[in-house]
Amino acid sequence: MNASRTDRWVGIVTLGFCAAVLALTFRFDEVPVSLMQGLGAELFPRLVIVTMAVLAVMIVLGVGVSALAPPPPIPPMVWQTGAVTVAFMAAVELAGMWIACLAFLIGLGRLWGERSLLRLAASALALTGALYLLFVRVLGVTFQPGLLAGLWS
Amino acid sequence: MDAFLSGLALLAEPNMLFLVFAGTVLGIVVGALPGISGSTTTALLLPLTVTMSPTAAIAFLGSIYCAANFGGSITAILINTPGDPSASATAFDGYPLAARGEAGRALGMSAVASAVGGIFSVFVLIVAAPLLARMAYQFGPPEYFALAVFGLSMVAAIGGDSPVKNLLAGAFGVLLATVGLDLTTGVERFTFGVYALSDGIEFIPVLIGLFAIAELLEQAAQRGTVQEYVRLNAVKLPSLADFRKCAKSILLSSGIGTFIGVLPALGATTAALICYNETKRWSKHKEEFGKGAIEGVAGPEAANNAAVGGAMVPTLALGIPGSTTTAIILAGLIVQGVRPGPHLFTEQPTLLYVVFGSMFAANLLYLVMGLGAAKLFARIALVPAAFLWPSVFVLSVVGAYAPNQSMADVWTMLVFGVLGFALRRFGFSPAPLIMGLVLGKLVEETLKQSLLIFDHNWLMFLSRPVVVVLFLITAAGLSMPLMARVWRRLRS
Repeated sequence: MNASRTDRWVGIVTLGFCAAVLALTFRFDEVPVSLMQGLGAELFPRLVIVTMAVLAVMIVLGVGVSALAPPPPIPPMVWQTGAVTVAFMAAVELAGMWIACLAFLIGLGRLWGERSLLRLAASALALTGALYLLFVRVLGVTFQPGLLAGLWS
Repeated sequence: MDAFLSGLALLAEPNMLFLVFAGTVLGIVVGALPGISGSTTTALLLPLTVTMSPTAAIAFLGSIYCAANFGGSITAILINTPGDPSASATAFDGYPLAARGEAGRALGMSAVASAVGGIFSVFVLIVAAPLLARMAYQFGPPEYFALAVFGLSMVAAIGGDSPVKNLLAGAFGVLLATVGLDLTTGVERFTFGVYALSDGIEFIPVLIGLFAIAELLEQAAQRGTVQEYVRLNAVKLPSLADFRKCAKSILLSSGIGTFIGVLPALGATTAALICYNETKRWSKHKEEFGKGAIEGVAGPEAANNAAVGGAMVPTLALGIPGSTTTAIILAGLIVQGVRPGPHLFTEQPTLLYVVFGSMFAANLLYLVMGLGAAKLFARIALVPAAFLWPSVFVLSVVGAYAPNQSMADVWTMLVFGVLGFALRRFGFSPAPLIMGLVLGKLVEETLKQSLLIFDHNWLMFLSRPVVVVLFLITAAGLSMPLMARVWRRLRS
């Protein structure tokens, strides 16, 4: 029943999370006793947090857990994909959803190893066009145009 | 009878037929993409249903659910990469069959076994769901509380290999369900003053994040892994002798698969793995298994599709999801303002007949498509990752944004995507979290109502026989793995 080092850390971090969330429940607004009906707003979350804490202690002690090997380091590609995603979110604010989508499809496709820009651009245009038609023209969803569009209009 | 006829009439409308057809095609196509499971498919396409009527939405989602399981077997057979976890057992023998040039035989058997299993389970659904609902009609809040706790306890058995971690993820899901305004006291919980959180955490961005975005990051981590592709020779369908050989395993697996599907939280993957073992146990050709046994394709495929109809039984009759995908469908229905449960059978019987009919039709459709267009669908598996995953991301962003037209939902999706990726790295599965999130509100509401009924005497739960039985089953289910471990240690 020995927990692996990784599991012990998982359990300890979970216990820390439980303590923090439990502390938050003490900051809920108070309800006057005269208006109180049944359980207070804080009781159920506390029950759940205590359950989570008990399970976290079991993980720390290695009870009911098969020993977990330390996960391999996160490959650089994951960080790069994350960075492109953050850039996409910034591009949405700046240039609007559809231009950001086009740029993302080409950019991430390139990062993931596709060499033909023409094929990437063609597929990006096709997908973005199809989504635009479905969501904007058919379903009537409004997407934010972006700051640049605001400057021009 | 009126409801049955109006359900049929509704299903016969051109737009409904189109939705069932579109759901089936999308289910197969997206389900066949490596790494995109049935639950991811359903989560990704869920935003499209927001603008539909509840009947149309459930017909569409039901068709996707049926077809995605079959779609998953295509990649399992052709590239040894199950498109859906439930098809992992299919790969054991499907891929060796394909590798020796018999991909068509394996795909054909997969289509037929899947359709037989699926149709069998739809019939069970038609018979069992109303019976269960009639029984559950007598249930009050205490019984529902016990049932929801039982459903949550079953998450110990799904995803990952650690029951304790599954339970922890499930409890975290329940905690997330408490975010927002407490309806009985009007107190805001964990909203940090953010108005958007007052109504609670939106299901759709969370679902898309945990499944699609986390999978995108997972795929990024695996870039450089070379998949082995086999050529799909002329599609030679299974022979009559093949069907004769597999008939017993298809029937056996259909029965077992449906039963496993009915149990809350246990879904198609468990059904397929158990039935693979059972098929092997009862086969006269045990030595062929793992080397390309056609029965090894038929058994798990019949089982995982039978689990689909089975999983819909508790979902529709009790409002307790039978699997991860039905949890997503349930979330979709809640977004539509429909809460499945026994009252659905008296208040909206038409909706139920549409569900039965659409699932039946989807099973027939993918049988025809599977036999006729297997070669075409197989091409889907060859879409390069550099095109596939950026497209999945864009679909996810648009899907998360569209229902509320809010960028906050897109951020929520991204946060849960990173969380899902981190959880997987540390041995947690996202499926229990979803079950917890979907069942959380039900657990809290029924607990509060029960305590009001019992005048805050917790011991009164023990005065209800159904509650006691459910608590005992829950306790037995939770302690069983630990007891088994202790027993094994004592014996050794």
